[in-house]
Amino acid sequence: MNAPERSLKRVARAASGPHGAGARRPFVDGVEKVTGTARYTADLPADQALVGKILRSPYAHAELLEVDISEALALPGVHAVITGDACDMPYGVIPIAQNEYPLARGRVRYCGDPIAAVAAVDEATADAALARIRLRVKELPAYFKAADSRQPDAILLHENKPGNIERQVHNEFGDVEAGFAEADLVREHTFECAEVHHAMMEPNAALATWDAERGHLTLHSVTQVPYYVHLTLARCLRMDPAHIRVIKPFVGGGFGHRTEALNFEVICALLARAACATVRLLQTREECFLAHRGRPEQQTRIRIGLKRDGRITACQAEVVQRGGAYGGYGLVTILYAGALLNGLYDIPAVKYDGYRVYTNTPACGAMRGHGTVNARYAFESLLDMMAGELGLDPIEVRRRNLLKAPTETINGLKIMSYGLPECLDWVEQASGWRERRGQLGKGRGLGVACSHFVSGSAKPVHWSGEPHAVILLKLDFDGGVTILTGASDIGQGSSTIITQVVAEILGVDYSRLRIIANDSAITPKDNGSYSSRVTFMVGNAAARAAENLRALLITAAAKRLQVREDEVEWLGESAVVASDPAREVAFTDVVEEALVATGTLTVKGTFTCPEEFQGGKHRGGAVGSTMGFSYAAQAVEVSVDPDLGTIKVEKVWAAIDCGFAINPMSVEGQVQGAVWMGMGQAISEETVYEDGRHQVANLLDYRVPTMAESPEIDVHIVESIDPNGPFGAKEASEGPLSGFMSALAAAVEEATGARLTRLPMTPDRVFEALHPKSRPAREGAAGGNR
Amino acid sequence: MKSVLRITVNGRAREDAVAANALLLDYLRDGLGLTGTKQGCDGGECGACTVLVDGRPRLACCTLAHSVADGTVETIEGLAHNGRLSRLQRAFHEHLGTQCGYCTPGMIMAAEGLLRTEPRPDRDTIRTALAGNLCRCTGYVKILDSVEAAVQAGEEAA
Amino acid sequence: MPVMPDFELLRPDSAEAAVALHASRPASRYLAGGTDLLPNLRRGLADTATVIDLGGIAELAGIRVDADRVHIGAGTTLAALAAHPGIAAELPALAQAALAVAGPTHRESATLGGNLCLDTRCRYYNQSTPWREANHYCMKLEGDVCRVAPKSKRCYAAFSGDVAPALLALDAEVDIVGTNGRRTLALAEFYHDDGMRWLALDRGELLAAVRVPLAPGWSSGYEKLRIRGAIDFPLSGVAVALARDGERLAGLRIACTGVSSRPERIEGLDALVGQPLDDAALAQLEKLVLRGIQAMETTTASVPYRRKATPILARRLVTRLWTEAA
Repeated sequence: MNAPERSLKRVARAASGPHGAGARRPFVDGVEKVTGTARYTADLPADQALVGKILRSPYAHAELLEVDISEALALPGVHAVITGDACDMPYGVIPIAQNEYPLARGRVRYCGDPIAAVAAVDEATADAALARIRLRVKELPAYFKAADSRQPDAILLHENKPGNIERQVHNEFGDVEAGFAEADLVREHTFECAEVHHAMMEPNAALATWDAERGHLTLHSVTQVPYYVHLTLARCLRMDPAHIRVIKPFVGGGFGHRTEALNFEVICALLARAACATVRLLQTREECFLAHRGRPEQQTRIRIGLKRDGRITACQAEVVQRGGAYGGYGLVTILYAGALLNGLYDIPAVKYDGYRVYTNTPACGAMRGHGTVNARYAFESLLDMMAGELGLDPIEVRRRNLLKAPTETINGLKIMSYGLPECLDWVEQASGWRERRGQLGKGRGLGVACSHFVSGSAKPVHWSGEPHAVILLKLDFDGGVTILTGASDIGQGSSTIITQVVAEILGVDYSRLRIIANDSAITPKDNGSYSSRVTFMVGNAAARAAENLRALLITAAAKRLQVREDEVEWLGESAVVASDPAREVAFTDVVEEALVATGTLTVKGTFTCPEEFQGGKHRGGAVGSTMGFSYAAQAVEVSVDPDLGTIKVEKVWAAIDCGFAINPMSVEGQVQGAVWMGMGQAISEETVYEDGRHQVANLLDYRVPTMAESPEIDVHIVESIDPNGPFGAKEASEGPLSGFMSALAAAVEEATGARLTRLPMTPDRVFEALHPKSRPAREGAAGGNR
Repeated sequence: MKSVLRITVNGRAREDAVAANALLLDYLRDGLGLTGTKQGCDGGECGACTVLVDGRPRLACCTLAHSVADGTVETIEGLAHNGRLSRLQRAFHEHLGTQCGYCTPGMIMAAEGLLRTEPRPDRDTIRTALAGNLCRCTGYVKILDSVEAAVQAGEEAA
Repeated sequence: MPVMPDFELLRPDSAEAAVALHASRPASRYLAGGTDLLPNLRRGLADTATVIDLGGIAELAGIRVDADRVHIGAGTTLAALAAHPGIAAELPALAQAALAVAGPTHRESATLGGNLCLDTRCRYYNQSTPWREANHYCMKLEGDVCRVAPKSKRCYAAFSGDVAPALLALDAEVDIVGTNGRRTLALAEFYHDDGMRWLALDRGELLAAVRVPLAPGWSSGYEKLRIRGAIDFPLSGVAVALARDGERLAGLRIACTGVSSRPERIEGLDALVGQPLDDAALAQLEKLVLRGIQAMETTTASVPYRRKATPILARRLVTRLWTEAA
C-alpha cells in the first residue's frame, strides 16, 4: 500500500469503538431531514415575497435588437421588470473567462438564455408580464455540434475566441513517439459520450431581500459555493461585498450544478434591488436543465502503446468537448481531461490535445468526476480491448502498471498514498473474478475498471493567498462548542465529517457540539463544496482548530489540577492527572477556568496546501493538482437480453482507497452514489437538443435510474492513510464514478461479443451493436468494432 | 375561486378556504406551512411529493386538494410520535437512507404506505414499491437497507 | 413548477350528472386520477374552465367477476386492478399491463379509464409552453404542422397507455355514458388512428366501465419495452391472448402500444390459427406485427429500433404463452 501503518492517537475514552474519526455515525442534520423540518430554499417563509420569473430566449442564437418591457411594466401588480441593462458586468467562475451576463446583453446564445425578468405580486401576474415583453431580434446561424462550430466559416459566439475554441490544450510529457515505437501493440479508437446533467433532486431556488434603507442585500440560495456567489453578486450588482449577506440553507444535492454562481441567483438579487423588496425565484425543472453546467458531450480519440506483458509505454489522447454557450468552468474541464490521464497508472509518456468548443447549447460545467470521466471511459475501454488482443487478464494488465507512492507523475502531480493495489485485490476476490469471468454463460458478463480523483484542487480558482480552509470554534459559558464553517453541506455530509473530526480531537460528547454552516455574516469564508475538497482541506482546518482549543483547555485543566500541562491527560469530558487518575476535573469546570479573564473563547484552525503540491509549471498545470488522490476499482456484472438489447446491471463491487474513512457509513454512501451516477450515464442518461431546444428537460425523458433497475453495490474501504489528509483521509465521492462505464462496456462485451464505444448504452444502441447490419438508429448509436 | 375544504391533516381536522385549482402539494406547503413535502419536478415525475391519503401513497403534485375532501392526509411531519422518530424515520437516519434529504420525505411516506399493507416486505418488494421515487444521492442501496432495518425493528418491537 | 390555470371544480355523484354538467359548460374536462391531466394542465397542454372530478361517482368504482365476464368500473385504480386476485388469475395480461404503468404511486391514483383515455404523446407536444412556442407549436396544439411528419395532414402523436393493448387482446368492450344515454362499443372501435382525435368519444361522453369476457382455455400476457424499470412510458408494448389446442394454435390476438396513434390490434393473425406454432408461423407473426405498427419519431428512442423490437417482443411473448399452455 506504500503508506504508513494506521496509527491514530486517540483521545482515551471509556467507551469502546471509534468516537470521532472512524465512527459510523448518522448525519448531524439527519433528524431534520427525516422529519421534514429541514428547510430548503423554497421552504423558507416568503409570504410577503414577490414572485420572480425569467423570460428565456426562444432562439438558439440571435442578436437582440430590442427588448420592449413597457407593456409588462404597466401591468398592475408588476413591481419590477429588468433586462440586460440591469447588469453590465460579465461574470464567470474563472476570473480570466468571464463572458456571461445574468440577463443577455445584445445577443442570446442558446435556447433558454435569460433575456428579462419580472417581479410581481403573484405567479399569474408574473407570467402575464412575461407574455407582454416584446422581442425584436436578428437570428444568427446556430451550432449544436462542436464540429459545426469549428467550421472555418462559422460565426463566432464570442468575438475574442477564434474558431469558437474556448480553450485548447496541447502538451506532451515524456517521449510519446519513442513510447509507441517501443510498444508491441498500438491501438487507437474513438469513444463518444453524450452530454449528461446533474439532475439534483432540489430544483434551483433563491430568495433575495433588498434593504433599501441601508442598500444591503441578503440572498438565500441553493448553492455549493456561497463565497463565489457572494463575489459574483458584488461584481454584478457593483456592491461592496460587506453589504451582502449570503446564506445557504439545506441544499438538495449539487453534483457540480451549483459550483459556480448561476444566472438565477444574480437575477433574483437584481430583481430584489429593482423592486426594493423580497423576491423569491423558484426555477422549474426545465429551467434547471437549461442552467445545465453538466458533463459535456465529448469525443475522445485515444491511442495506447502496450508491451506484450501489459506494460503501458505511451498514451495519446485528443479530446473535443461541446462546451455550450459560455465559459463557466470550461477551461478547467478540458484541462482536467488531459491532466488526469496521469496519476492512476505509471505511464512514461502522455500527449494530450484538448479542444473546448463554444456551441449554442446550455453551458456545460463541473459534474461529479469533473473532466476525467469520459476520458477515463475511453482509456480503460481501450486498455481492456488491447488486453484482450494480447490475451492478458484485465486485472493483471492494471497490476502491471501500478504506481508506487510517494511519487510524482510526469506532469507534476504528487501521489502521496496509493491504495489501488488493495482495491484491485478486493474487487478480484469479491466478484469471484478468477472463477467466474468467462463462465457466466450466454448473455452475462463481468468487467473491471479503475479510476481516481483529486481531494480538492491544490490551487483554488480565486487565488488570494488566503488559507485553503478556515474553521472557527466557539466555546462559551454553557460548555457548548459551536463549530463555524463556510463549507457547504449539500447532502454529502460535510457538516457531519467536520463534527466528527472535532469530536475526535476534543473527545467531548457529541451533545456539546453544534455546527453552524454557511451564513456569510457568521461563518468563515470557504471556497465551497467542489472538487472533493471539504473532507481533506476543511477537515484539516477543523483538526487544527480543535487541537488549538484542546491546548487551551489542557492549560486550564493544568491550572485547576495544579500540575504542569504535560502531566494532564485529556479525556474529553474530563481531564486527569496522568500519574494519578483519581485527580479529575470535569469538562465544565475546565471551561469555567479557561474563560477566566478572557471570556468566550474563539479559536481558529486553518489549512493551506503547500506550493509544491500546486502542480506542474506548465500552463494550466494547477488543474489536477491535489494533495491526495483517491483510488477506486470496481467490477460490474451485467446481463444482456440480446434479442432486445436491454441491459441489466446485476451487481457492482467497488473498492475505494479514501485514505481513512472518517465515517465509514458515509464513505459507503458516497461510493454507492458515485458508482450509481456513473451507471446512469452509462445506461440511460443523455440530454437531447433539436435545433438547440432541449427535448428532455424533465425527469421523465431524462432518465435518472429508478430503484427498479438499480443494482446492489458492495463497497470495500481501503485505508492507505494519506500523510497529509485529516487522520489520513482523502476523498471518496468522485473517484469511483468514472470507472463504471468501461467496466460495464467490458461486461457487455463478455456477454455479447460487442464492445460499445458510445454512451449511454440504451437498448437501441445495444441492439445496433448486436445487429450491425441494421441501418443506423440515430446519431450517437453504438457501433461494434470487433 | 375558493371553497371550504374539510380534511384531516396529520390527525387534525381542518376546515380551510382552498382554491378549486389548488394542488394538494400547494395546499400543504403554502396553505399549511407543511414544507416537508417537496416538489422536485414539473409534475408527476420524481415522487418527492408523496404523501398518504387515507393511508395510501399519493403524488401531492398530481392531486387536487379538493379531490381528497373529507379524507385523511398524512405528511412526513405527522410521522413522529411525541417528538420521537417513527421506525422508518429512525432507520433512514441511522442507516443513512438520506443524504441530501430532498427525496427523503416522499421516500419515507412511500415506504410507510408499503409497510401498512405489507408489514414484512422482502427487498425486491421494497424495490418495486419505491421505484417511482427518484433519489440522486444514494444509489438506493442504503434506502433499501433503511426500509429493511425498519421492518426488522418492527418485528423486534412486536 | 408551472402555474396551474384557474378553473371551476365540480364533483358530481353520478355518471349522468357528470355528463349533464359537461354539457352545460362548453369548456370542461373530466378528471379521474389526475396523473395525466393535472401535469398537462400546468404545461398548457389542456385548457379548461371547468374540471369535473369523477372521484365521487360510486358507479365508476369496483370490479365484479361474473361467470362469463369481468366488469370493471372505469374509476378503478390501476393499483386495485393489478392487485385483484381474480384478474391476476383470469386475465393476466390486464394485471401485468396495469402493473407496468408508470410508478407504484401513480398507480394508486391513476385509473383504468384514465389510462384508456390517456392523451397521446409526442416529443414535440409534451413540452412546456415556452418550448412549444419557440418551436412554433405543432398540429396537435395551436399549430398546423405535424413536427414528426411535416408533410402529413394528420398528427402522429403516439398512444402510450399500457392497459389498452391488453384489453384489446382480451377482446374487451367499453360502456360509454353520454347525454343521449348509454352505449357499448368494442374497445377496438374506441380508438382512431389519429394523434389528435384518438378516442371515439363524442363531446361530453364519459367512459364508465370496461367488460372483459372470460375465455376458458385462453392465456394472456403483456410485455413492455422501456429503458427504466419504472415510471417510463412504453417505447413499445405488446399484449397477447392465445389459445392452444394440442399442437395447434386455437386462437391468437395481439395488440401493441406506443407504436401508433392508437393501440393497434394486429390484423391477419387468423391465418395462423389452426396451424402449429412453428418457425414459419412465428416469422409470419413477426411480419404481421411489423405491418400493423407505425412507429414514428415521437420519442427520442430510435424508430428503427422500436419497429424491430416490437415483433421480437410479440414473438417471445407468444412463444412463452404457447409453451406454458402445453
